[in-house]
Amino acid sequence: MWLLVLFLIPLVVMLSLSLQTCNFGTGACVMTWHWGEFWQQFSLYKGQLRNSFVYAGAATIIDLVVSFPIAYWIAFHGGRKKNFFLLMLLVPFFVSFVIRTVVWQFILSDQGVVLGSLKNAHLLPQSFHILATGYAVVAGLAYNYLPFTALPLYVAIERIDKRVLEASHDLYASRRETFTRVILPLTIPGLFAAFLLTFIPALGDYVNQTVLGGTNDTMIGTVIQNSFLQNLDYAGGSALSAMLLAVSLIGIFAYSRLLGARTIEEYL
Amino acid sequence: MTERNGSEPRESAMDPMDRMDPSVWRGLTQPRLSRRQLLTSAGAGAGMLGLGAFLAACGVKGTSTSGTSNKPGSVGSAAWWAKQKPTKTVNFANWPYYIDVFKGKHLSLEHFTATTGIAVNYTEPISDNVPFYAKIRPSLQAGQPTGYDIIVMTNNSPPLGYLIENGWLIPLDQKAMPNFDKNAGPLIKNPSWDPGNKYTMAWQSGWTAIGYNSSVIKNPGTSVDILFDKKYAGKVGMMNDLQELGSVGLLAIGVEPATSTESDWAKAAKKLQQQRSDGIVRSYYDQSYIDHLKNGDTVVSMAWSGDIFQADLNSKYRDLKLLIADQGGMFWTDNMCIPMYAQNPRAAMTLMDYWYQPDVEALVEYYNDYVCPVPGAKDFLLHPSGWGAQALKTMNPEIGLPTSTTADAPTVFPTAAYIKNSRPYYEYKSQEELTTWNNLFSPITQGA
Repeated sequence: MWLLVLFLIPLVVMLSLSLQTCNFGTGACVMTWHWGEFWQQFSLYKGQLRNSFVYAGAATIIDLVVSFPIAYWIAFHGGRKKNFFLLMLLVPFFVSFVIRTVVWQFILSDQGVVLGSLKNAHLLPQSFHILATGYAVVAGLAYNYLPFTALPLYVAIERIDKRVLEASHDLYASRRETFTRVILPLTIPGLFAAFLLTFIPALGDYVNQTVLGGTNDTMIGTVIQNSFLQNLDYAGGSALSAMLLAVSLIGIFAYSRLLGARTIEEYL
Repeated sequence: MTERNGSEPRESAMDPMDRMDPSVWRGLTQPRLSRRQLLTSAGAGAGMLGLGAFLAACGVKGTSTSGTSNKPGSVGSAAWWAKQKPTKTVNFANWPYYIDVFKGKHLSLEHFTATTGIAVNYTEPISDNVPFYAKIRPSLQAGQPTGYDIIVMTNNSPPLGYLIENGWLIPLDQKAMPNFDKNAGPLIKNPSWDPGNKYTMAWQSGWTAIGYNSSVIKNPGTSVDILFDKKYAGKVGMMNDLQELGSVGLLAIGVEPATSTESDWAKAAKKLQQQRSDGIVRSYYDQSYIDHLKNGDTVVSMAWSGDIFQADLNSKYRDLKLLIADQGGMFWTDNMCIPMYAQNPRAAMTLMDYWYQPDVEALVEYYNDYVCPVPGAKDFLLHPSGWGAQALKTMNPEIGLPTSTTADAPTVFPTAAYIKNSRPYYEYKSQEELTTWNNLFSPITQGA
């Protein structure tokens, strides 16, 4: 019931708002069934939508590749200190999201600790920069969402019965075969959960692009934020949010169809 | 996140779900994630969806209590003001780094409290006009106090006009502003955006001009063209505020912003688009442009006059210089006003008028170096006396410059040449015009 009150109603309000026409000054909105809003917003900002998918996808793949070995090691070789290692993985993320991102801005700035020293040593040309590029945005996303990938993966790998691996060895499977034919298939639900948990929030993220990005790498989250807070264009912002939401729902729908609705709950 | 979930009794949580239609359940999964991220990391994208829904709810509410009609007839009239009792506290909402600071205290405010017995709750919640307006609007719409007795809004941004139009400002008590009547300067007395100072008194003014690093740029010239110079490709900072950005675009194509037409706007947008696609712009910044100018990410940037002066106070940033181009610098004014339903209007009037004494304003200028609304403060800075002299002396070691530097700065007490070079902003005639402007310039700052 509380789900209904807290989530479904705001959602319906947002969807209906995307079809209304609002007065910027008073905030008063009138329902006009303006379906054209969707197409107009889409054609204005399709480049930014594309950026969001490319960057969020790249960041998610990086996170999966990076966190799989970490999760694997903690699950199988962490021993009694498993919880300690997990805590170590999470400690940096106790600091506020925005502050962590701004710190990266300092580290990566043109004359900062890293690039400044490399430039002074003539290892990099003076004009080289990472900030204000798409690479910086992807790096920021990958860093900030790492725990969202690592934890579900850890849960999935940790759950594998070790005797299954022993059986695999007994049946003369090499280590590689054990990995590809036993471990990987058993962790697929976890991989998919990790993918969704990382990809979906990264898709709507606007902090990383605002802090680390430049002129040609705007993500849709930044546009939505500006629509709401800078231009007071609630209808336009709602329409874009609705499109993003639709995409996320498709992902979840696919998940529950392929792997069953119950499994995602187990990883949350 | 996991721990929180681990402690949840899974079975009981699942049971009601199983009775629900599976498609509804799937639909609920996404916002369920959203709220978690909203709680755990406020900045996360899905959290933003939650915020969107929240704002949407506010917007819809507005339809039932239409904003324009709730103007209480007598508020702000002489009779209404006569009934207002003095109170012992006032809530002042201002922009960051905009008032004298000495070891975390504000000497000017302490003097106010000492002489009037009114305590000031000074806060700095305003870092942008529109977002701040969006924050206080729901209260005003609902006919409730915003929690602030004085707010500071810029004349170049739509919210000040919205507040006046919707009847959300208390008209000032014209009999309770003796210092203003006596000492206010010609630039901000009876201004075009508020004839007769019916609703506002200026806090500070300033220029949106050009800041550059003189250790890199030896010969900046005297034109806004420096912002479009390919020599500095990738090192030019622009502002993401659409009014600021559009106005500079208009100056660059040689058009007066105040009298420009829609076709001029389109040309300016094209010029700015070209500047971006040529890779000249590093990024479009909010207030943070000054940090990027300081740390060398940009070497030339659109800049607010006072920021460059304040940066110069630190010997590390002495190289930063201000340029007001031949085409002119955009001149704006931040205005103090009293939002409707304020709890302490009488105390707010007292404080607003208090700033219009030369000795008080001198303190503020000595720290922030924006354009002073009280020309008489210049004499005071040159020949301080009384408590003000003591306060200036206390602040001196932290600021490190003599008070005469502030007194002689043309960006604080503008000379005739500076006034001649000041350009007013375009004033939108309708909401459609604003939409047209936004749709032209916002694709530039949000490039993909």
